[in-house]
Amino acid sequence: MSIAMPIRLGPAEEALIAQLEGAGAKDAAEALRATGLPNRKLEAYHYTDLKTMLRDVPTANVADGAVTAPKLRIPGAYRVLMANGTASHESTPPNGIIISDESGNALSARDDVLVSMNRGLATSHLKVRLEGSVDPAVHLDYRLSGDARHVATSVLIEVADGATATVVQSFSGSDAAHLGNHGTRIALGKDARLLHIIIDEMEMAARHFHTMEYAIDEKVALTTLGINLGAGLSRTSIFGSFDGGGAHADFSGMNLLDAGQHCDIKLDLTHAVPDTTSTELYKAVVRGDGTSAFQGRIVVAQDAQKTDARMMSQGLMLSDEAQIFTKPELEIYADDVQCGHGATVGDLDENSLFYLMSRGIPKDEAAAILTRAFVQELLDRIEDAELNEALTGMVDEWLVRGDAD
Amino acid sequence: MSTPMLEIKDLHVRIEDEGTEILKGVNLVVPRGEVHAIMGRNGSGKSTLSYAISGRDGYEITEGDVLLDGQSILEMEADERAAAGLFLAFQYPIEIPGVATMTFLKAAMNAQRKARGEEELATPEFMKAVRSEASELGIDNDMLKRALNVGFSGGEKKRAEILQMALLKPKMCILDETDSGLDIDALKVVSEGVNTLRGPDRSMLVITHYQRLLNHIVPDRVHVFADGRVVESGDKDLALELESKGYAAFDDKAA
Repeated sequence: MSIAMPIRLGPAEEALIAQLEGAGAKDAAEALRATGLPNRKLEAYHYTDLKTMLRDVPTANVADGAVTAPKLRIPGAYRVLMANGTASHESTPPNGIIISDESGNALSARDDVLVSMNRGLATSHLKVRLEGSVDPAVHLDYRLSGDARHVATSVLIEVADGATATVVQSFSGSDAAHLGNHGTRIALGKDARLLHIIIDEMEMAARHFHTMEYAIDEKVALTTLGINLGAGLSRTSIFGSFDGGGAHADFSGMNLLDAGQHCDIKLDLTHAVPDTTSTELYKAVVRGDGTSAFQGRIVVAQDAQKTDARMMSQGLMLSDEAQIFTKPELEIYADDVQCGHGATVGDLDENSLFYLMSRGIPKDEAAAILTRAFVQELLDRIEDAELNEALTGMVDEWLVRGDAD
Repeated sequence: MSTPMLEIKDLHVRIEDEGTEILKGVNLVVPRGEVHAIMGRNGSGKSTLSYAISGRDGYEITEGDVLLDGQSILEMEADERAAAGLFLAFQYPIEIPGVATMTFLKAAMNAQRKARGEEELATPEFMKAVRSEASELGIDNDMLKRALNVGFSGGEKKRAEILQMALLKPKMCILDETDSGLDIDALKVVSEGVNTLRGPDRSMLVITHYQRLLNHIVPDRVHVFADGRVVESGDKDLALELESKGYAAFDDKAA
């Protein structure tokens, strides 16, 4: 029998515990007191040691109505503003978009400090239900303003049986040491089709955490694209479960990182029933001494015959100081499945660079063309022209920013 | 005598990470408007010569000079050499996924125009130029929309190279083993494309180890390359002599 050693807690942990106790989240507070923030010995946080990286905690959930200017505009989208954790929307939602504020939308309980903190502190419990063929994209526009603040949000996106929708979540804010800890549950009904885009454009001082949970029913078609180009420190955890046959999901993301940034994506998918398929494609482009991490795990349950899952992570290092970590895992308990994973990391291909330069294209421009080409296949997944243009513009702006360095 | 289009003077080149000298004193003059051929067996340094002239990283010039239209180009980056009028048709054109051929052509043409202080091409003007040159080479619109060289057949890749040459209008073209991977029909299309680009203000250096290409692109001069230098020069009949005697007959001269 082992004797539990008391954990030495730092000021950040003490502050978080006080905030949880203040919010009446006694269990979460106790859990944090028992374990402290996760460090690198914990598999799930191996590349992101929160105990050392999260040193200070700003004030929690101060609602003051201040809003920063929008960073991303999606033409034609229906926008719901999430200003410092409080939801508001201007007009009556168009047909098929039903917005309500109700409890019971929290993330599922997990042995994960960010999840239990989110469950303990989230103030808004927004529910967005999408029915039928929803024409405008729904844009959940999260903004954190003013001095550093700790904000926890919880949103449920419910896509009804047979519904088709596009949802964009974007995160931006002032350049302060915000701590955003967001939770999003996505429940997909039978035959639902969803394009889910998640964009982190926080400023460098900010710390950004987002946990997503997908429940995928029969014959669902899901496409996700996460674009991370903001926040000094960010961590995205994605959980997904295939619970109905005939469903297909394409999970994807790109980390576009500069010096001083650390961005970690953890993906955890379970093919729980027979006859479901998925692809996972995650790309990282890193400049300066930026760090990108990807941990992907696919579990195929014993019953889940005919699963087809293909996971790939690709990294492009644009400097000698860049760091990219990748760890794909497959856990297969069924015998009639097709699964695979792969990973590549490298710098720009010399042959390609020379080829472009030999046609008169200067080196910087050639490098930008090749970097853009590296992520192009992810942008190609966005069929809507206006949305594609908005996202492409964002990527291009990031590339141009690199030229100025 | 007018300035030669290309003048290579006692060029010595070694590969940076290996240290072995590949080119051991190449001397070559290609006058304005002429087409010269370099013939040599595999491994004689022909491709190194083309890379060294076009400015590829990793090729260290230890001695000698290369003049393009009277100007030394050795201090220039590859893109600057291209803007100065040099073009290399690759033996193995590089596949670049994610970059549409059309987008690439526009980037290349405009980069060269910018370097020369000219206005960028307007899109309609650009499209018109591409369409007209492409149809000459039997390149359809679909191919132009595809990613650069990705999934192109050997013949399509070489035709795409010639299309770039036609659009960029270089003064000095180096064609590196342009016949490799081509069947007879494709060879004819590519050669005709090259021949239409011959003119009094454009010179070419055709690199090959096989005489066949020179039946289609008839050179003014032929140079035999062995062990990193030119060992024999002559008129087009030298190619035929080489074909019948073999390269071994010229090896002594390299020693």
